[in-house]
Amino acid sequence: MFRMLWLSAALLAFHQPAAACETSSDSSRIAVAGGSLTEIIYFLGAEARIVAVDSTSIFPQAASAFPSVGYVRALSAEGLLSLRPTLVLGEDDMGPPEVLAQVGRAGVDIVRVPETHTAAGILDKVRCIAAVLDLADHGESLVREKLDPMVAALESIRVSAAKPPQAALILQMSAGAPTVAGAGTSGDGFLRLARLRNSFAELSGWKPVSPESMAIAQPDYIVITQRATRTGDGLERLAPSPALRAALQGRNGMADGLIAMDGMAMLGFSPRTLEAALDLSRQIH
Amino acid sequence: MNSVDELKLPARLYGLRMGGLALLGALLAGVCAMALGAGAIRIPVLDVLAGVNSGLESTVFFQIRAPRVLLAGVVGATLAVAGASLQGLFRNPLADPGLIGVSSGGALGAVSMIVMAPALAGAGAAYALPLSAIAGSLAVTAFLYAFASRFGHFSIVTILLVGIALNALANVGIGLFQYLSDDAALRTLTFWMMGSFGSAAWTTVLPAVALMAMAAVPLLRQGRELDLLQLGEPEAFHLGVDVRRTKRRVILCSAVTVGAGVAVSGIIAFIGLVVPHLTRLAIGPNHRYLLAGSALLGAALAMLADTVARTLATPAEIPVSLITSALGAPFFLWLISRVRPK
Repeated sequence: MFRMLWLSAALLAFHQPAAACETSSDSSRIAVAGGSLTEIIYFLGAEARIVAVDSTSIFPQAASAFPSVGYVRALSAEGLLSLRPTLVLGEDDMGPPEVLAQVGRAGVDIVRVPETHTAAGILDKVRCIAAVLDLADHGESLVREKLDPMVAALESIRVSAAKPPQAALILQMSAGAPTVAGAGTSGDGFLRLARLRNSFAELSGWKPVSPESMAIAQPDYIVITQRATRTGDGLERLAPSPALRAALQGRNGMADGLIAMDGMAMLGFSPRTLEAALDLSRQIH
Repeated sequence: MNSVDELKLPARLYGLRMGGLALLGALLAGVCAMALGAGAIRIPVLDVLAGVNSGLESTVFFQIRAPRVLLAGVVGATLAVAGASLQGLFRNPLADPGLIGVSSGGALGAVSMIVMAPALAGAGAAYALPLSAIAGSLAVTAFLYAFASRFGHFSIVTILLVGIALNALANVGIGLFQYLSDDAALRTLTFWMMGSFGSAAWTTVLPAVALMAMAAVPLLRQGRELDLLQLGEPEAFHLGVDVRRTKRRVILCSAVTVGAGVAVSGIIAFIGLVVPHLTRLAIGPNHRYLLAGSALLGAALAMLADTVARTLATPAEIPVSLITSALGAPFFLWLISRVRPK
């Protein structure tokens, strides 16, 4: 009986990736798939163990010097293995799954870091990676020293209970139709971190919306990724957009109420996301 | 009017055809060796094959690279054979599974399965995905044939126009599913639009390859019937061809090969168009040799494109359809310029 159990456990272990957040047997050479994870490894000061990153790892800038294994959702098995990693540390959404199964079969540890779009989720992510890299104590002290104060600052923000300020978060403007963050997205989580109500909370996922629904939603603020404005001061470029006009009508000019921020900082749910949320809340509350 | 006997080749021509086929076979063997030898990881192939090396290189070679090369070869071969057969059936040099919507139909079938039955994408995927992709391809091919034979008499332009419409329809369906799907499903969907052999593993490759091969064999044996069909359907009938059976067989088998291929590797563009034409240039239009030659050249071209896709930007890779389209689209334009003046 027990032999059967052992056997099936062994079979399961062979097919499934290592349980998240357990210390990896060998984390000396890490291939990272996910920008926020790269940021956290730098945050923990363990960047010397990185051997490869994915194309979303653009912060800090030094990270782009590592060989790139491509987009986090379109990894290449042989490409990954060619860098001889002992551990593939990936975001929730890394893939394709078949490729990761191939890499796992070659004996490489694969850890998928869970993601929740809350402040606690960010701290958990840092703790998780610290545990995987066998840096749990160091990670815990960094969390206490650097992150807890920011979380406390965010929680101490006073918002009017009767009429909390609301905002829409725009990921990109394609053909004049903005793609906004609905419920369950990282964008929705970011707005809540900054103590803002999401004007499009009734949508689920990232959805393109029409100018008319922007007019109905009437957000107090529009938070937009810098990428959508192309350049840092490109807000004027968006001025003719009927969607934004409709949403911000009755205000003094476009710059008022339209806030552009670094998309990876907002949506990656790394320590930088706490900073970005604080930054945003200081601008509006 | 032609007689059946003229279709039998004189000995000299027969020798030339067989020589051409042998050359294509040699080309395929060369490309295959290169594809197995090249990659992000330097693998001492001879050591690995001899069993001397049993480390990471051996695992990568047998578990990752070999199934991938096999998949690329079989998908390329069957796409080319399906392309050559459809071109013969429609008597249309521009018929291509991608251009006339057969591939998109397959993608729509696969995508609908992923979005509507996400649980299946795990366990039953090896069978459910190919089946629904095949159903999609079959629906498009059958509709195309019915529509064209009723209204258009297979004119080159009609087939292409109907193909554009069917492609658009399939894309509407795919777009709708994309809109409805959550983030997780969306990730898998983009795969079907880009096309890649990167997910090849023996467990998914072997059932698909078996299916594709089973459907390709009857196509390879339709050479004489397709030759006679070029004279027109009534003429072929009077020369003893069971026209209805041939049509049904070509439609069913090409849909099965294309659908099964789409289910494992997504849409691979233009192979079905380019390869039959190159093969015709090499060994002439006789379908008996054309179909076999297309299979050889299709396999070689797909393996080559995939090798470029996975070695050009190591350790990342570029979508293979980018490469086949870069080759195929200009070729398509050139073909149009040659076909139109008639």
